[in-house]
Amino acid sequence: MSEITLHELEKQYGETTAVEDVSVEIEDGELLCLLGPSGSGKSTTLRMIAGLETPTSGEISINGDDVTDDPAYERTTSTVFQDWALFPHKTVRENVEFGLKMRGVPADEREQRAESMLERVQMTGYGEDDPTNLSGGQKQRVALARSLAVNPDVLLLDEPLSNLDKRLREDMQIELREIHEDLDETFVHVTHDQDEAFTLADRIGIMDQGQLVQVGDPDEVYENPKNQFIESFLGDTNFVDARVTRTTDDAVYVDTDLGTELVLPTDTEPAVDEGTALTLSLRPEILSIDQPSADGGTAADDASEQQLATDGSSRTAVTGTVENVIYRGSTVRYSADIDGTSMFAERTDATTGTLSAGEQIRLEWNGADVLAFREDGTRVSL
Amino acid sequence: MSETTSLPQIPTSLASLRESFAGQSSSTRALLLMAPLIAFELLVFVIPFLILLRISFAEPSSDLIYEPGSWSVEAYAAVIDNILALELLWSVISYSFLLGVVVTIVTVVLALFYAYAIWRSTGLVKTLLLFSVVLPLLTTLVIRTYAFRPLLSPTGTFNELLLSVGLLSEPIQFVPNTVGAVIGQVYIVLPYAILAIYSVLATMDWHVVEAARDLGASRPRSVAEVVVPQAMPGIIVAAVISFAWSVGAYAAPGLLSENITFALHVEELLLTDLRYPTAAALSVIMLVLMLAAISIMFAVLNRFGGDFDLA
Repeated sequence: MSEITLHELEKQYGETTAVEDVSVEIEDGELLCLLGPSGSGKSTTLRMIAGLETPTSGEISINGDDVTDDPAYERTTSTVFQDWALFPHKTVRENVEFGLKMRGVPADEREQRAESMLERVQMTGYGEDDPTNLSGGQKQRVALARSLAVNPDVLLLDEPLSNLDKRLREDMQIELREIHEDLDETFVHVTHDQDEAFTLADRIGIMDQGQLVQVGDPDEVYENPKNQFIESFLGDTNFVDARVTRTTDDAVYVDTDLGTELVLPTDTEPAVDEGTALTLSLRPEILSIDQPSADGGTAADDASEQQLATDGSSRTAVTGTVENVIYRGSTVRYSADIDGTSMFAERTDATTGTLSAGEQIRLEWNGADVLAFREDGTRVSL
Repeated sequence: MSETTSLPQIPTSLASLRESFAGQSSSTRALLLMAPLIAFELLVFVIPFLILLRISFAEPSSDLIYEPGSWSVEAYAAVIDNILALELLWSVISYSFLLGVVVTIVTVVLALFYAYAIWRSTGLVKTLLLFSVVLPLLTTLVIRTYAFRPLLSPTGTFNELLLSVGLLSEPIQFVPNTVGAVIGQVYIVLPYAILAIYSVLATMDWHVVEAARDLGASRPRSVAEVVVPQAMPGIIVAAVISFAWSVGAYAAPGLLSENITFALHVEELLLTDLRYPTAAALSVIMLVLMLAAISIMFAVLNRFGGDFDLA
């Protein structure tokens, strides 16, 4: 059992608040990723769990014991640092043995344990090497072995993969995932890389300006973001300014720069008033791309078309001009000018009819897939 | 080289000098760059030392400081006899080395704490700590050493302070005494030792210490396991500076102690007894002993970590 509870955790450096009111329950055996841009307080939060920083206020408990005031060396956590922080004057094996040595484990037992840890991270035979001569990936493995050797209740990972190149990083993500499944220990992993978070995490905690904005399963935070920051941080999207023109029992009608009124179907009575400024998010994956049909009279006359279907879904389409086409390997990204507003959409299958710059493009989506945010960034429940 | 061609404004004489310099192999160029330093070392160290060596092999003279042109090992024989008979020179040399060892241990320990404090501090505190290391160097050595006499005397500031807080019931004799000499000499060498150790600590990654604590090392243990072994090159430099300077100490023992060190005894031989060959022979023997002691120190300290190579 190694669950961690953070209760109203706060850290201030002089006038600056690095972490503010962070409360979360990390479950036993879970891999939680703290995701956020640099300076969002995710590393500080991790360091407070490790005992390397003292919280200004709030409580940390591990397995129900309050450890807030315990120094790092008394905690059952172990940290893998961003720069790995290997002891440069010790051999690889001495590095891995270090935690056991501090716990007074006899030398032969230490050596055995170090060997098996090095084997786990595929570093067998490097025991006598000088860690300063290893490559980044190898150092990372040794750091991981060193932390795992003490059999910690909680493994804390402070962006350990951020100094590796892309390919190696992706391999290490899979390996970390496997090690986590093998050990069934609680992992807290800090990263600014959303792909890494989605690859690794059981749950993702998103941090912004010292606050833990949302914690949830990866699909939940992606599909159901709490605010506009999360929507913009997790992948690319089109933000379109809008203003509420009228509301009905089952829809919000908004005016946009796309040259048309859009319909946002709602499940409940909409919680916005007429005249409210909104920002709409149209993810590229909800946009389907077409060439406008030559005979589609209405499409040619009016730049858009839409109908509110009886089942509450609403197909909306706009037309515009392709500005540029970016070939991105597995996808092709089209930027389009829709009545003066720039939007982009992606096509995964590059073979089905390519559009080139200057051609007409038609983007269509289901109004129910559009997310709307108020000016303060909060989400409008639709 | 492109830089050479892009600088046509250089006067031709300089340019040709530059070209001939660039044309040399890199080892020749290194040698040329070191030439002023080599010339300086020759002038102020090698040549005077050769003269000293020559005097040590001269015969003593009754009316001159030594007999010019003579060759003799008499001075060495006299010095070595005196040492082996455990007479005056034995006590002078052993006292010099004792002073050196005590000052070195005290200095390195203090310097390690102080350098660690500078390393861990930030902002104004760091600036102040660094500034206070350099500050004593702005006063002349004799004055700041002499200032210890009133400070350490039986009716001086230290004793008054210790008496008034009740730590002492009667004054302690610090000066003129070995304790005074040690305090004065530590004060002289401490800034250099601090800077030597701090320069190594400054390049160290604090995360390494955090990693040690994270893995279960207490604060003192993390310093012993991680900081000291990595700081060893700086500690070795600090120890060598402290030791070499203190064994040959002159000002601090002269002003604060009654015991005679090697340097004070050489002064006496030169200025009072006018026995130059003996003074020179004693100096050469001390140099050999110091080199031996420092070699042993390197070997021992290197065993405790660090990746410091003698080469």
